[in-house]
Amino acid sequence: MTAVSQRFLFWTIVWFCILILSVPTIIVVGASFTTANMISFPPEGFTFRWYEKIALARDLQQAFIRSLFVSTVCLIVSVPIGTLAGLALARFRIRFANLVQVYLLLPFTIPLIGSGIGMMLIFGEWRILGSLWPIGVALAVINLPFIIWSVSSAAGALDSDLELAASSCGAGRFETFWYVTLPGVMPGVITGGLLMFVLAMSEFLVSLLLTDARTVTLPVQIYNNIRSIITPDLAAVSSVFVVIALFAVWLLDRLVGLEIFLKSK
Amino acid sequence: MTDRSAAQYAPADGAREIAVRASHVSMDFGGGVLAVDDASFELEKGRFLTILGPSGSGKTTLLRMIAGFQKQTAGEITINGKAVGAAPPHRRSIGMVFQRLALFPHMTAAENVAFPLKMRRFDPRTIPDRVNGFLELVKLGGYGNRRINELSGGQQQRVAIARALVFEPDLLLLDEPLAALDVKLREEMQLEFRRIQHELGVTTINVTHDQREALVVSDDIIVMDGGRIQQHAKPVELYRAPTNPFVAGFLGLSSFVEGKATADGDLQSGDLKVLGVSAGDVTEGVPVIAAIRAEQIRLARSAPALGACEMQLDATVIDTIFEGERQMYIVEAASLPGTTFRVYHHDPEGFGLFDIGDPVAIGWNRRDLKIFRHAAE
Repeated sequence: MTAVSQRFLFWTIVWFCILILSVPTIIVVGASFTTANMISFPPEGFTFRWYEKIALARDLQQAFIRSLFVSTVCLIVSVPIGTLAGLALARFRIRFANLVQVYLLLPFTIPLIGSGIGMMLIFGEWRILGSLWPIGVALAVINLPFIIWSVSSAAGALDSDLELAASSCGAGRFETFWYVTLPGVMPGVITGGLLMFVLAMSEFLVSLLLTDARTVTLPVQIYNNIRSIITPDLAAVSSVFVVIALFAVWLLDRLVGLEIFLKSK
Repeated sequence: MTDRSAAQYAPADGAREIAVRASHVSMDFGGGVLAVDDASFELEKGRFLTILGPSGSGKTTLLRMIAGFQKQTAGEITINGKAVGAAPPHRRSIGMVFQRLALFPHMTAAENVAFPLKMRRFDPRTIPDRVNGFLELVKLGGYGNRRINELSGGQQQRVAIARALVFEPDLLLLDEPLAALDVKLREEMQLEFRRIQHELGVTTINVTHDQREALVVSDDIIVMDGGRIQQHAKPVELYRAPTNPFVAGFLGLSSFVEGKATADGDLQSGDLKVLGVSAGDVTEGVPVIAAIRAEQIRLARSAPALGACEMQLDATVIDTIFEGERQMYIVEAASLPGTTFRVYHHDPEGFGLFDIGDPVAIGWNRRDLKIFRHAAE
């Protein structure tokens, strides 16, 4: 094959992938500007009406605030645990390390509906079902592998001599962790943390099982609204999600640089 | 610091002050072979010691035990008269330059150098001046605000040296920091290490596999192989009077002859008596191996042209290699079949004087051929 046709094939595949991945987003965002009363694409006309509507809808507003709260709880729980666990997995020769790895994979292999029902039973037993914060904890549990992997890959890329160097500089164990190890894996912590936040914002299935009318989060609220009629305001809400995700990516780029994020295995 | 005051009261007649003493230190990682096997040595204060050996010789393990990164399984290490035992690295006053430097990538050059001062609780008001002073010492004045990845390889070396020395440790350890540099930079940094070490007078232990570096920078050299100390001597002595065939072969370029010891201390190979001097415990009839350096063999077109060599042999040129400042010949002596000699020939006019297959004569003086007892196996 010549270089030209190789490049042609390469770019065809690249653009095909980009298109496939972005079509749903484009349609949803486009549909949110329609003037029609039913969701439609391409949009008929152009209006910000639906954004006005969702901005004024109390149920959506409150669900959004609840989602922010839940995501924050998830972040607070998962960052310390995920960071320490990720470091431990990368740094120490742990007994049953393989078993631990598999265990950490479990949330992925068990269907979310299973995890959700399990947590519903446990939370019910503990009589905390109906509070908002347990949902954050639950989302931290099911998504924990993301931040653990993110941190442990950053830790794996760290020169292990750095910690020895710190101790020969006079740093004790805690000082070594605080001044050398933690800053070293910070890109992984930030990446993992943002991922946890965005995943918690949009998590649906487990949230559905753990929420009730007083604690409904945004994805669940959207689902509730769909059950009656699909109106363009739902497209507008979805567009807000897209904006949040884009914001997270922008933040990541500013904080750690996307190239580090893309490099982490 | 009772040890220091004791040293002050020591007689002023040049009594040696020992900075580091290792006695019967061993390291057993399991697996039946000791990584370091019963190593004992003393290092005087202010001197530059190089531990030289091939990879797997145990030299890095020995260094790491001195640093406190690993605990020896037997023996004792004493620094300034105090047994360090199980003291963790941060409780030892040791500066270290690592092979991969291990500079903190999220800090500037100055922050890297300030780190040990911060950790060792130096008066914060004195830190900036001290950091600048040491950056000046390593010729990096004005580079303090650069991030590590903005510095060249040589500059990073200098930051690592400043970081290791800034708190004026009792001991400086160098773990092959020059191994990754290209030849020019390496030779420049070797001289830098020497200059800085002389300037500060800090006791230094360097680890390397580079014999040239060891000879250039050191006051003392320990040669290690197979976890054991093979020889501990000053560079000139080590080079001129190796005490075993390993050292003879590891430093410089040597050729070897095998045979049996004669009554008067020479080497008998077949009908030929090879003249040399025996080093160590050699008695008549024991199997021996002799070593001679490439620059100590003379080479000429015929025996009369050799001049006054006590040992003379006819030989044939097998290969000839141009090395820039000299020509190296590989020759085989007619009376020692299967034994090749490597000979340096420094002759400004006549490079390429001999060709492959040419008959030549080689010769040496008795004192230059060292005869060692052959290892038991």
